Amino acid sequence: MNVNLLLFGVYPYIAGTVFLVGSLMRYDREQYTWTSYSTQLLGSRRSLTWGSNLWHVGVLFIFLGHFVGLLTPAFQWLHVPPVAHQWIAASAGVTFGLLALIGGLMLLARRLSNSHVRAASHPTDLFILLWLLATLGLGLATQVVTVPNLLAGHVADMEILSRYLKGIVALQPHPELLAHIPWIYRLHLLFGMTLFLVFPFTRLVHIWTVPVNYLWRAYQLVRTRPGIGE
Amino acid sequence: MGYFLDRLSYFTKKRTAFAGGHGMLVTDSRQWEDGYRGRWRFDKIARSTHGVNCTGGCSWRIYVKNGLVAFETQYTDYPCTRPDLPNHEPRGCQRGASYSWYLYSPHRIKHPMVRGRLLALYRAERESGLDPVAAWAAIQQDPDKRRRYTAVRGLGGFVRATWDEVTEMIAAANVYTIQTHGPDRIIGFSPIPAMSMISYAAGSRYLSLIGGVPLSFYDWYCDLPPSSPQTWGEQTDVPEAADWYNATYIIVAGTNLPMTRTPDAHFYAEVRYKGAKVVAVAPDYAEYVKFADLWMPARAGTDAALFMAMNHVVLSEYYIARKEAYFQEYAREFTDLPMQVLLRALPDGCYAGGRFLRAADLVASLGQTHNAEWKTVVYDTRAQAFACPNGSIGFRWGEDGKWNLRPEDAADGGRAIEAELSCAGHETVMVKVRFPHFATGESDTLERQVPARRIRLADGREALVSSVFDLLAAQYGVARDADAGRRAALYDDATCAYTPAWQERITGVARADVLRVAREFADNAARTRGKSMVIVGAGTNHWYHNDMNYRSIISLLELCGCVGQSGGGWAHYVGQEKLRPQAGWAPVAFALDWARPARQMAGTSFFYQHTDQWRYEKVDADSLLAATAEGRYRGHSLADYAVVAERLGWLPSAPHFNENPLTVCARAQGAGAGSEAAVAAHVAAELKSGALRFASEDPDDPANWPRNLFVWRANLIGTSAKGHEYFLKHLLGAQNGVLGRDSEGRGHREITWRDEAPIAKLDLMVDINFRLNSTGAYADIILPTATWYEKNDLNTTDMHPFIHPLSEAVEPGWESRSDWQIFKAIACAFSELGARHLGVRADLLAIPLMHDSPSELGQPLAVRDWKRGECEPVPGKTMPQLRVVERDYGAIYQKYIALGPLLVKEGNGTKGLSWDTREAYEALGDTNHKVTLKGVAQGLPSLENDIGACEAILALAPETNGEIAFRAWRALEQKTGLALTHLASARRDDKIRFRDIQAQPRKIITSPTWSGIESEHVSYAASYTNIHERIPFRTLTGRAQFYQDHEWMRDFGEAFCAYRPPLDMKAADSMPAALKDRPHLMLNWLTPHSKWGIHSTYNDNLRMLNLFRGGPTIWISEDDARSIGLADNDWVEAVNANGATVARAVVSQRIPRGAALMYHAQEKTVNVPGSPTTTKRGGILNSVTRVIVKPTHMIGGYAHLAWGFNYYGPVGSQRDEVVLVRRLDDTEIDWRERPLDDAREAALDPPRRFALGEEGP
Repeated sequence: MNVNLLLFGVYPYIAGTVFLVGSLMRYDREQYTWTSYSTQLLGSRRSLTWGSNLWHVGVLFIFLGHFVGLLTPAFQWLHVPPVAHQWIAASAGVTFGLLALIGGLMLLARRLSNSHVRAASHPTDLFILLWLLATLGLGLATQVVTVPNLLAGHVADMEILSRYLKGIVALQPHPELLAHIPWIYRLHLLFGMTLFLVFPFTRLVHIWTVPVNYLWRAYQLVRTRPGIGE
Repeated sequence: MGYFLDRLSYFTKKRTAFAGGHGMLVTDSRQWEDGYRGRWRFDKIARSTHGVNCTGGCSWRIYVKNGLVAFETQYTDYPCTRPDLPNHEPRGCQRGASYSWYLYSPHRIKHPMVRGRLLALYRAERESGLDPVAAWAAIQQDPDKRRRYTAVRGLGGFVRATWDEVTEMIAAANVYTIQTHGPDRIIGFSPIPAMSMISYAAGSRYLSLIGGVPLSFYDWYCDLPPSSPQTWGEQTDVPEAADWYNATYIIVAGTNLPMTRTPDAHFYAEVRYKGAKVVAVAPDYAEYVKFADLWMPARAGTDAALFMAMNHVVLSEYYIARKEAYFQEYAREFTDLPMQVLLRALPDGCYAGGRFLRAADLVASLGQTHNAEWKTVVYDTRAQAFACPNGSIGFRWGEDGKWNLRPEDAADGGRAIEAELSCAGHETVMVKVRFPHFATGESDTLERQVPARRIRLADGREALVSSVFDLLAAQYGVARDADAGRRAALYDDATCAYTPAWQERITGVARADVLRVAREFADNAARTRGKSMVIVGAGTNHWYHNDMNYRSIISLLELCGCVGQSGGGWAHYVGQEKLRPQAGWAPVAFALDWARPARQMAGTSFFYQHTDQWRYEKVDADSLLAATAEGRYRGHSLADYAVVAERLGWLPSAPHFNENPLTVCARAQGAGAGSEAAVAAHVAAELKSGALRFASEDPDDPANWPRNLFVWRANLIGTSAKGHEYFLKHLLGAQNGVLGRDSEGRGHREITWRDEAPIAKLDLMVDINFRLNSTGAYADIILPTATWYEKNDLNTTDMHPFIHPLSEAVEPGWESRSDWQIFKAIACAFSELGARHLGVRADLLAIPLMHDSPSELGQPLAVRDWKRGECEPVPGKTMPQLRVVERDYGAIYQKYIALGPLLVKEGNGTKGLSWDTREAYEALGDTNHKVTLKGVAQGLPSLENDIGACEAILALAPETNGEIAFRAWRALEQKTGLALTHLASARRDDKIRFRDIQAQPRKIITSPTWSGIESEHVSYAASYTNIHERIPFRTLTGRAQFYQDHEWMRDFGEAFCAYRPPLDMKAADSMPAALKDRPHLMLNWLTPHSKWGIHSTYNDNLRMLNLFRGGPTIWISEDDARSIGLADNDWVEAVNANGATVARAVVSQRIPRGAALMYHAQEKTVNVPGSPTTTKRGGILNSVTRVIVKPTHMIGGYAHLAWGFNYYGPVGSQRDEVVLVRRLDDTEIDWRERPLDDAREAALDPPRRFALGEEGP
């Protein structure tokens, strides 16, 4: 089997399976570990407030950008020309990417410099933060290729990537599409897919259960005992 | 269903809104709750407690989950108290709640362990075909072989062995020692039976059966307040914590209630809500100060000055200015204040206080024909004549019915008398009396005017007598004849000792505060009939002159009539000494069911002698004498005084003589001495001729060394070793940090000096523990014992009146066994070898003139020393009792497992009482089963298992068997002529059994062992029956004594309480320049108990270490620290002649300047680096202390001043030390973790370059 097929045809499904099945298993078997392992109580509040907010805002928008821009036909429906689409993507990506990078580095500095936080850290906490920052850095680094291409009016690479990702999601993988894509995109892709692979083993599981329903749920929830009050 | 699937319920979910949509009733899965339910689901819950010296005695639920102890919580099912009194519970603290960690901790001793080199030696000898005893002898008789293992004590190197092998080794060592040196060279140390009675009894029973020596501990710990036996003839008796709630005025001095009496501290808080005023006396801003209305920050060790100034005020205002009726009545009937004292003429025409006037001094002995020399005299104002009132010690022995405190003339048909307090103004002369005085920079006597009566004695001589009250008032300088204004003006006279102004300079407490507190305290007591209380503790009691500190406080309480009153009195909480079922426990513990008496030894004098701390003594005993002393032993060293006390029969003396007692006895019998009396006479003659000598006259002679040491339930070498480094050097022969010279104590009158100090006196040290601590590290054999959740045992405390079980929640872990089973196994191995090598032997015991026995009437009027030819050596009178006990060394095991027949033949008893126990004994045979093994034990009640031993104690003790209580009271009725059985008759049918207390803690039954009562109406209060039932205090006068008339007491200036400043131990005098030239502090070394490990868990518990700093710390004041550039958490070294210790500094504004506070019981095994000065392991709190004995504590054979095991005797104080404290750079920290090489092994002592008196590098 060629390496390209293994990395971009098979690996995404391994990572995706581990991500979904692993999350499910952890949720069912290890309820007491299902947490973000917040270190908010342990001090350095200032760097946490800034770092955490910058990080989360940046990362959420980047996730949104990747999702909408690469997996949905939103820009086509809005009749945005491909070059303009890519300019929007690149500028938003860099903006939020830098926010996330600043926030992430602040969080990293806090995690390493505050002895209490360091003592309370699980090895995976540090690993996942470094991995996210590396993925983020690679994502920003892709702009080194993307922007000159855009200036030259080329958007072909981005469209290939979009098609590749849609293929993966649609269970019709076309790893051969990536054969001639610059290596920096591929590296970013591999790091990104690995995030899914390690996701269930880290604090990232808190993403599944962000209590967004607090925005609209009733102030007081009262549970019934089975068989009573139904 | 799974958690995830359960969430997929969008379509089936019902949501019912309420409260206008603000609330919602949902039907989400509740499976997550099972996690919390599982948390509280167990295999079982057992009731146990912590077998430690913390005084808590708290009932705990022990949760067993999957066969393991998971955790513990507080039980809350104590019997309720009465209306208007808070309940006792919840009892327990963070320390107890952390205990379960130990069961499965890395510290746990899991298997029998032996020092590897010793085991190799022993196995080699055994494999060469030698019998165990011969194998042990081969090792001991070869100095090289012996040194191979003794020199590496404390350096690790343990290997596992089997139970069979270790018990054989121990038995072989014991047999060899008995054969070669004598049974009195086998020593046992275990403290505080009350914390786990059966475990204590296990070792002491085994030792007592073979003739070994349990050492006393309460005095060694300095938890025993000698002031209590001095004043009341009572070891320690204190109110239960609930009685604090009955007080209306409380002074707390030197005991950190919320921190160290955590389960009881709620009463201290609650009584304030009831309106009581609380005054705290503390040098530092301790936790208990926060509860107080007023803080009196007296300098450490100056409590006596403070309280004596209060006494001055009380005497002046409540005894002279006006005569407070309640105080007068109390003082006349329950104190020695009206007792008459002979005045002794001094060469300069002045007088000094002499001994009490006795009936025998007066014509016709005031009608007393029996013990008239032991009966004190008052002046009766009704008859205007001297009278001999009931109740003095002479009435206690050999005479029934008059030993009581009825105000009656004992002679004149019980005629009512009124004792006169003061003779001022009645046919008297005024004489000048000198009182010893010790305040620094002041005259050494106080010359005061005292009213006295001139009388003619029976022998025709004329004498002056004065009452204790008149002398006391004079000593305090209270102006008798002046008007109130002049007396008040005296308060501001700082030149007059004991005035509020005078104490200001010493204590630093404002005179106005002293005046105010004294008035409030007395006023409150007068209005409430004594509901003023002083709670005291180690902070006051651990000083060399602790008895002065305490007697000053006790004087205040006695003057105010508080002692014996509910809500009043002296509340001393230092150590869990209240062994409530003592009378039932003692026969089991000391094998008195098989042989009487048992051999025992005073811990402090033993360790002073045998760890050779006396060789380093810098304190000259003469410097402690009063200026008025007769001083017939002037020139004697402190160690000499101990020798004198031993030969006069005052202190016990094990090892007894410079020969094996079996040999001594055999020789006497060989010379034709058939009876015990004949043997005693023979031995007395040998002693007189000098053919036989006391071991203490030459403690460094190898013939006199202790040879085997058992330590169980203790941390003897660690936290309990005052003078830790001396233990290491001389007793154990281990690496040590002793810096001082061992020739300081060279000058002796009674002791043979040997230039070569002994190294490694012990052949064998056995430690029995569940954790590896600073003691086990130095042992040769460590035996794994059951934890407090793995054995069945009993526990009581002075803090509450309940008796508790320890219960086996799980079986002892790994190879561990309960102490009872461990000593049973040793006894079994011993019997086998004992039968072969020893057989049946007669053992000679030298027993002191015991407290609470007729022999406490020793020499009534003056000290006569047979060795000086002043009298004949009469066993039991002028020298120790010499007793013969037959030991069948092949039957030790059989006797261990059966309750012996002496309990039926001779009955049982305590504190001078005795009663019949036949029925209880026979019932035990039925409930415990009978021994089936053939031999002496066959058919006797079995003590084979731990619960059986518990049942025996419960059945034999008046506190747990109502019928026994009734009989005990009846015995006391006969002695006193009082009606007393009413105190127990309501519970005569009660029998508390082991299963009862496992179901719920049970309140004990009122018994004459104790001076308080268990009642539905009053809380347990000490001396209650002395006051309310008129049972005499067990003192010379039968009353609470302000005055101690023994010759040595007068010589040392402590006939009355006097302020004595902290003692200069001189340990930090000659520090080497290498230390003195760098920034340093000279600080007083205080070692109180901490929040993170008193006893209920220790300072090596991970949970406790997590709570505070994770290792040893020394607290230092912020200002002191700044002066040497010391920052919080820096490493510091504390050094003096005794050694060095290294710890982290805690810099706190709470600590006063001049003090270094190192909390007790921080282990050497956790985070202790090397000391740069000694180059040895950094040490512990006791590395810089050295014990020092006080001659007045050695007095014996003199009524209340008579030795009793843990009752009276020298105490091991450690608060007077000064240390040099310096900052260590991190680069100076050496963890000393490298392999042992020959050079290191050979260097037992610190390098000479730092030895004191010589220059540093």
